[in-house]
Amino acid sequence: MALRTLTILFLLVFGAATLITGLATYSASSQALERLVDRRIADVSSAVLSQASPGDKASILALIDTFSRQRASGDVGFELEDAAGRRLGGNVTLARPVPMGFSTLHPGDRIAGLSSGRAEMRDAGGGLRLITIIETEPIDGFTRVQWRNYLLGFGSIAAIVLAGTAIFGILVRHRITDVRRTAEAIIDGDMKRRVPRSGDGGVFDAQAAAFNRMLDRIESLLESVRNVSSDVAHDLRTPLARLRGRLQRIAGAPLADDAAIELDAAVEQCDEILAIFAAILRIAELEGNERRKAFARVDLAEIAAGVIAALSPAASESGHVLIHDGLSSVIVDGDGASITQAVFNLVENALRHTPAGTAIIVSAGQATGTATLAVRDHGPGITHADMATALRRFGRINPSRSAPGHGLGLPLVEAVARLHRGALTLANANPGLLAMLNLPLRAEGGPAT
Amino acid sequence: MNILIVEDDAELAASLAADLTTMNYTVTTVVTGREALAETARQVFDALLLDCMLPEMDGVSVVKALRDRGQMLPVLMLSALGRSVEKVEGLEAGADDYVVKPAPASEIAARLKALVRARNWTAGEGDTLTAGLIVVSPVQHRAWYDGQSVDLTQFEFKLLLELVRHRGGYVGRQMLLERVWGYDFEPATNIVEGLVRSLRRKLVGNGRADPIITKRGVGYSLRC
Repeated sequence: MALRTLTILFLLVFGAATLITGLATYSASSQALERLVDRRIADVSSAVLSQASPGDKASILALIDTFSRQRASGDVGFELEDAAGRRLGGNVTLARPVPMGFSTLHPGDRIAGLSSGRAEMRDAGGGLRLITIIETEPIDGFTRVQWRNYLLGFGSIAAIVLAGTAIFGILVRHRITDVRRTAEAIIDGDMKRRVPRSGDGGVFDAQAAAFNRMLDRIESLLESVRNVSSDVAHDLRTPLARLRGRLQRIAGAPLADDAAIELDAAVEQCDEILAIFAAILRIAELEGNERRKAFARVDLAEIAAGVIAALSPAASESGHVLIHDGLSSVIVDGDGASITQAVFNLVENALRHTPAGTAIIVSAGQATGTATLAVRDHGPGITHADMATALRRFGRINPSRSAPGHGLGLPLVEAVARLHRGALTLANANPGLLAMLNLPLRAEGGPAT
Repeated sequence: MNILIVEDDAELAASLAADLTTMNYTVTTVVTGREALAETARQVFDALLLDCMLPEMDGVSVVKALRDRGQMLPVLMLSALGRSVEKVEGLEAGADDYVVKPAPASEIAARLKALVRARNWTAGEGDTLTAGLIVVSPVQHRAWYDGQSVDLTQFEFKLLLELVRHRGGYVGRQMLLERVWGYDFEPATNIVEGLVRSLRRKLVGNGRADPIITKRGVGYSLRC
């Protein structure tokens, strides 16, 4: 369940519980007050009727008169009626008949000097009925005060709970945002980023500490994996370079023709292996994101034009048609050298893996914050499964491995894309392959170079 | 030319020293940065070949110390990793050029010569450069072979200019990629060979002799 839904549900239940408690308390205290009033009415009526002879109209009226003058019962009203409901006397006049027993009086009953009250009608003997009424106006005032107290009391509780929930929510969100930002920075290649800790030893702090320890562990594992590959590449380069130097020195001496040819081939093979190591080291360097420090204004269209100019002689020799489409500048913030290598690899791939006579179109364009450098060939294209293989390090579509290349060209382009927070996508161009290097456009007013 | 090699890999240092000696260089070899500073204080060198990763004091610190001392001799840094950050650091500290190990001795020799020549550059040399029958004008962007003007593309011209600048020596593939195309990587497609081929075609027209010498695995040179 979403945190927001849970919070709304909690607040609804809390509000309902507060309301029910308020209403129950009010209703209980109102009923208790009503019972007290009714008991007093009953006491006064009993006192009048116990002193008068039952059914004796005159003595009852005289007692009413006496009670009315007493201070303790000055707020009590009486009316004596006959069996037909006709008024026989008393100090109040009722505008409507009241039922036998207890009932409530309202302003609509138009009793002089009384807006609300309780009444009791009881049999006074001889067909006579005594109605005793008591004003409840002071009690209504008390009810208003009671309501105000309830609103203040429960209102402040509700306000505290709401504020607490909001503060708690902000704190939780803050912590979650910290963790999210750290995760995003790590996805982005900043392996050194950690979740900030409050140091209070609370659960969030403990969670941040555990998360950070996990990141330390991942970083050290990654580092050792990265070191293994670049150490292997680096440590094998030096002996290979020595071997190459030695072969070259031998080639410098007078030799039989076939031996010279063999030596040249051996030197060439050394160069091929050295090129693979150079590519591994370059990918490791790109993945370290160190080059981001030197990012500057780079024009993709200009790079495309440069690469096309560099590869045009090779393209015409192999019978390919290299076309530059779109001449307007497309500016990104980046590392010109590595983007150049990426574009070079894409165009070189198209030249190598398509038959002579194939047209290859290189274009630079932009749309909604993204700069795209596209290399499209009109060759046979590759399947979706082969696209995944081509993007894998040392992934070769031709399993015989006899085709030129060492399977690091596209992974290197992908590493360049990641360095720039972009992506490399391969798609079927029907016919042919469409390789797109998508990089974020340089933000307007970006750093001057 | 008197060169100081600072390299902690004894075998690499010995092979470089042997190769450079056969090319008529006078070579002194030391292992650490401190030894390099002591040696440069003792005698005058025409250039310094300096490894980036050295025990105790790294290459960048050595360059800084040299420059602080006011010694402006050309420094060619040797890097094993070839990271761009390393290159930028080295150049910012005051190094003149940078080459990624393993580089053939011929390439190192060509770069050292270029550095020394750049120090001795005089204004008059800017007009035309000559190597045998070839004359190039960097200012006019024009070239002549045996007195006849040759029409070259931008890359072909840059390639010829590099060959003329390094007349008498060989220019390797890595150096040409850097100087002609501005690339810090070696593409799988041999664009250098392709460009040399097209330059050669233009130069040998009208029955002229081929002035470009190719030494496999080493580089290219001009017949002088």
